[in-house]
Amino acid sequence: MSKYSVIGTRVHRVDGPEKITGSAKYTFDLTLPNMLYGKILRSPHPHAKILKIDTSKVEKLIGVKAVVTGKDTIGKKQGIWRRFPELCDEEILCRTKVRYIGDAVAAVAAIDEDTAEEALDLIDVEYELLPAVFNPLEAITEEAPQIHEGVELNININRHIEWGDVDEAFKKCDHIREDQFVCSSQAHVCMETHCALAHFDYNNKLTVWTSTQAAYYIQALLADMLGMREGDIRVINPYTGGGFGSKFELDSAQFCAALLSQKIRRPVKIVLSREEEFTATKRRTPMYYFLKLGAKKDGTMLAKEVRVITEGGAYTAMGATALYLTGFFSSFPYKYPNYRYDGYRAYTNTAPTSAMRGFGAPQSTFVGESQIDMMAEDLGIDPIEIRRKNGMTPNYEVPGQAFIQSCGLHQCLDKIEEHIKQRGKLPPNHGIGIACYGFMSGGIFNWFDTPYAFSSAIVRINIDGKVDLFTGANEIGQGSNTTLSMICAEELGVKLDDIRIHSADTGICPPDLGAWGSRETLHNGNAVKMAAADAKRQLLEFAAAKMGGLNIVHDLDIRDCRVYLADRPERGLSYYDVVKEATRGKDGEAIIGRGHYTPHRKGMISPAYSFGVQAAEVEVDPETGRYKLVNVTTAHESGTVINPVGIEGQLEGAIMMAGGYGYCEDQPMDEGKILNPSIADYKLIRSLDMPETKILEIDTYEPEGPFGAKEAGEGLTNPTAGAIANALYKAVGVRINTLPITPEKVFRALREKEAKKKKK
Amino acid sequence: MLKDFEYFAPKTLKEALALLDKYQDECKVIGGGQSLLILMRQGLVAPQYLISIKGLSELSYIKDAKEGLKIGALTTHRAIEKSPVIQKKFSVLAEMERRLASIQTRNWGTIGGNLCHGEPAGDPAPVLMALNATLTTTSLRGERNMAVGDFSRDYFEVALEPGELLTEIQVPAAPPHTGAAYTKFNIIESDLATVGVAVSVTLGAGDGVCQDVRIALGAVAPTPIRAKKAEAVLKGKKITDNLLKEAGEVASTEAEPISDIVASEEYRRELVRVLVARVGKEAFARAKA
Amino acid sequence: MKKELKLTVNGQPYELYVKPKTLLVQVLRDHLGLTGSKRGCNDSSCGACTVVLNGMAVKSCSILALQADGAEVLTVEGLARGTELRPIQKAFLDHGAFQCGFCTSGMLMASTALLLENPKPTKEQIKEGIDGNICRCTGYNSIIRAVTAVVKGEYKEGK
Repeated sequence: MSKYSVIGTRVHRVDGPEKITGSAKYTFDLTLPNMLYGKILRSPHPHAKILKIDTSKVEKLIGVKAVVTGKDTIGKKQGIWRRFPELCDEEILCRTKVRYIGDAVAAVAAIDEDTAEEALDLIDVEYELLPAVFNPLEAITEEAPQIHEGVELNININRHIEWGDVDEAFKKCDHIREDQFVCSSQAHVCMETHCALAHFDYNNKLTVWTSTQAAYYIQALLADMLGMREGDIRVINPYTGGGFGSKFELDSAQFCAALLSQKIRRPVKIVLSREEEFTATKRRTPMYYFLKLGAKKDGTMLAKEVRVITEGGAYTAMGATALYLTGFFSSFPYKYPNYRYDGYRAYTNTAPTSAMRGFGAPQSTFVGESQIDMMAEDLGIDPIEIRRKNGMTPNYEVPGQAFIQSCGLHQCLDKIEEHIKQRGKLPPNHGIGIACYGFMSGGIFNWFDTPYAFSSAIVRINIDGKVDLFTGANEIGQGSNTTLSMICAEELGVKLDDIRIHSADTGICPPDLGAWGSRETLHNGNAVKMAAADAKRQLLEFAAAKMGGLNIVHDLDIRDCRVYLADRPERGLSYYDVVKEATRGKDGEAIIGRGHYTPHRKGMISPAYSFGVQAAEVEVDPETGRYKLVNVTTAHESGTVINPVGIEGQLEGAIMMAGGYGYCEDQPMDEGKILNPSIADYKLIRSLDMPETKILEIDTYEPEGPFGAKEAGEGLTNPTAGAIANALYKAVGVRINTLPITPEKVFRALREKEAKKKKK
Repeated sequence: MLKDFEYFAPKTLKEALALLDKYQDECKVIGGGQSLLILMRQGLVAPQYLISIKGLSELSYIKDAKEGLKIGALTTHRAIEKSPVIQKKFSVLAEMERRLASIQTRNWGTIGGNLCHGEPAGDPAPVLMALNATLTTTSLRGERNMAVGDFSRDYFEVALEPGELLTEIQVPAAPPHTGAAYTKFNIIESDLATVGVAVSVTLGAGDGVCQDVRIALGAVAPTPIRAKKAEAVLKGKKITDNLLKEAGEVASTEAEPISDIVASEEYRRELVRVLVARVGKEAFARAKA
Repeated sequence: MKKELKLTVNGQPYELYVKPKTLLVQVLRDHLGLTGSKRGCNDSSCGACTVVLNGMAVKSCSILALQADGAEVLTVEGLARGTELRPIQKAFLDHGAFQCGFCTSGMLMASTALLLENPKPTKEQIKEGIDGNICRCTGYNSIIRAVTAVVKGEYKEGK
């Protein structure tokens, strides 16, 4: 008999039937009677004072029912680092100043979208243009204009991580490399753009349906910004068409819809256009990297020094976290005895940079894995060998920083080595490059409201044995509804079909910080497991009494809808019978199990880490520099696999996104204006461009995770850009240190290489 | 947002021409609208009157005759792609269509609409130019004929006079020992061309000497252009790899590409150089076969 | 200014009265309440609005509703017959060929049109068939596997 009944099996997603029949209603689809449509007016200037906003013409337009500007707000600034007021710097609806092209200055609600759009043209805004700065390296100089009052040299935040003594250690190295890299921005391109339907009713209660990763955060931030009590706000995530890190902060659609509805007391729906999605929502943090790496000639790495300047854009957003994590993950997945990281985030007059799948780790992995390959070549060591020599192992402590419990990195290296060997001799102009990664399963600290992160869950068992699972976790496509239902079913001993999950509705679900930083499986999974165990215990107590006495309660368990005695399994009762009698037999009490989880005291950064190694094969056309992603094979370990179909999907999706980061996705700007804010112009990998993919699963067990599981989904976006860079070098001998690695860059590098050869 | 307009759906060509004649500059014609609707939705084009000719089935045909092909302007890209006669006799057209946008776009968009849109990076125009194609425009005043290469005037500007509709494209029958090929360079397979190159080569009987050659380039000038100096390098000579290389180099000087977020001017010239030689070689191989 | 529009959607004939600038996707979503087809872009690039019109895959955001006068349209809502899912839908469920689900109806309809035209496409043709559709979640390969399974005959029509 397999160890588990539900987890590890290939199941249909619990939200599957609704989605594949077109029945699932996203915020994008929702309407309410008497609803109005909202549109937002945005600044065309990267940096300017708002002198005057004249809405008199708009108010006369038939069909326009409400107009709001910054003057209609209570004047608060919000930020996702809520416990640090100096980092709460975003008004969303600007009152006195705009800081990037796309910053919101007014919003209207009208009877239809066309009227709302027309209305925007009738709002007159008088700006006083201010000098603007776009490059972070320029922004931190004396000459640069100041973007936020009181922030000297536009340095939003800095971060420092250190252990050992790098300066001393470099003296002992046989070889030192210093390299510079530039990591580009990236747009999330969720298929469903940011949208919200807000209904402020006559009881002064606000309900907001919205496309979000964190209903709980939106509730709290709306309360802050509207001057309301959280309990008077209900945020509901119906179905969400993608998040990838773009949707756990309070956004302009949510805030403006709520404000408008508050004014007019009618439901207001705002859907951002695709252009707004590209220009006026958050994006991946671009980074300038300066790396110094020192090793002994046998490949042992002794010291690593990292300096980073990130382009912050106009507001802090989650940029502070990306800044920290990129420094932290620059030390992954290797054992550096000496390490120093200094990171600075500079405000710039560009769209704010924040969180995107990987959260600073795709950047640090690209640069780190590129450099380690270069180091390996310098030392004459095989790229896999050098990684083996320095790779993290289970139960390793990152000095003073983090404790790694489970770690399958070495098994992953073995698998990839085998895969490369099996591939055999490559055709000309082909190359295979590898990259390793490690990533966290949710953070321990919470800079939002409490010091430490938390998740909670409630399980209610109904008289017919069906189970209602209430969780604050947010399903955004990553499969948390299915994974958590599976954990609940496994713990409780029932079928997956018996679970009905209610998630991300702040009116009925207990809180959870949201779907980001790869928290849902481990944090919420643990909370759900605990809640299910609590409900189970109540049932078993009743069953024990029926079966002979409470002394056997610890010997009872439930599996496949049967309550049974562990050492005499033939003795048992039907789960459904037990439930029926248990719920009838009490004083009308429902059987409710409660669970919670906090990673507090589970280390410093995260309770668990997942690891992997990816090999990318490219085929290069040396005459043009164009290259194809032929195959991407990944060996990864994520503890116990709860939902195998889910993990495979996460991996393949990650390759599309991370492959795009390496190959083609970019947001070129001119004076702060994004030049390609459309799906046609922003290059995305489509089905004809997608490589063959292969997954090699390594079996590990994470003691901290529910049934031994840890994250799988975000870490997988880390390695691809680095693997591509390394593959290109193997294929045609050119090294590109800036992202994205476009064919033109490869072409120019090849020509330079030819020219150098000719000189010799 | 789309602005309001008055809509006509004429049932015959005559009806359509009468409407065009009536409304002149105030109206726009929509075939499949796969290019026009994007501009209208973004507010870049806002006609008062829109004349839909999508229903004029009389303009949707592929006729194969001794003199060559006659393709009605409203023939969809997909019909061209799937046409057995085109796949057999002018396979380069079918190959070009296969990489044009997406199947959805090709199912509704028309070859005539594509040509009238005048996108400098469009795929059909350079291929038709390489095939020495001509086209017919029709108005109440009568018909005009011209080479496809003379149809494009400037970025998104074509030689249609007010009251005129593009009605037919003619592809002359290829002389014996003719081969044609097309490729476009892009970084996403179905993307618009960063650089497009079409070459048609006609060889003398059995001697491998190039009797006739046409090299058409897309996306490297305000209109698709012929690389006539490069053609002169090949014409009348025996085609070799070195000669093709030279032709490529000359063609790269004839191109007038711009630098944009997709590629620099310099890179586009290099792509012309490489691809003219490559596509020329392919056309040459097909001519020999 | 409004004009009469007659079309059949999922086998049901409709008679509507629409402004000429109305797009087919607006008729489906806003007039007929068929919100399965989505919109994800403003330049005809994402394919989320794909439906089958007269047997062909088209982007419903890129067709004026009036041009679909007299046409037969099939949307995702027209696939399942009550609770009886079509093979392509069963395959999507089995293969996890969707995650957030926003592109899914477009993918289902592009696949349906592909198989209507050619019941035995090659893998390359399947990729071409969905190349007009962007998916940000799955990386496409699970969708290709699902369609392949249908092509191989692994699913039967009916319950």
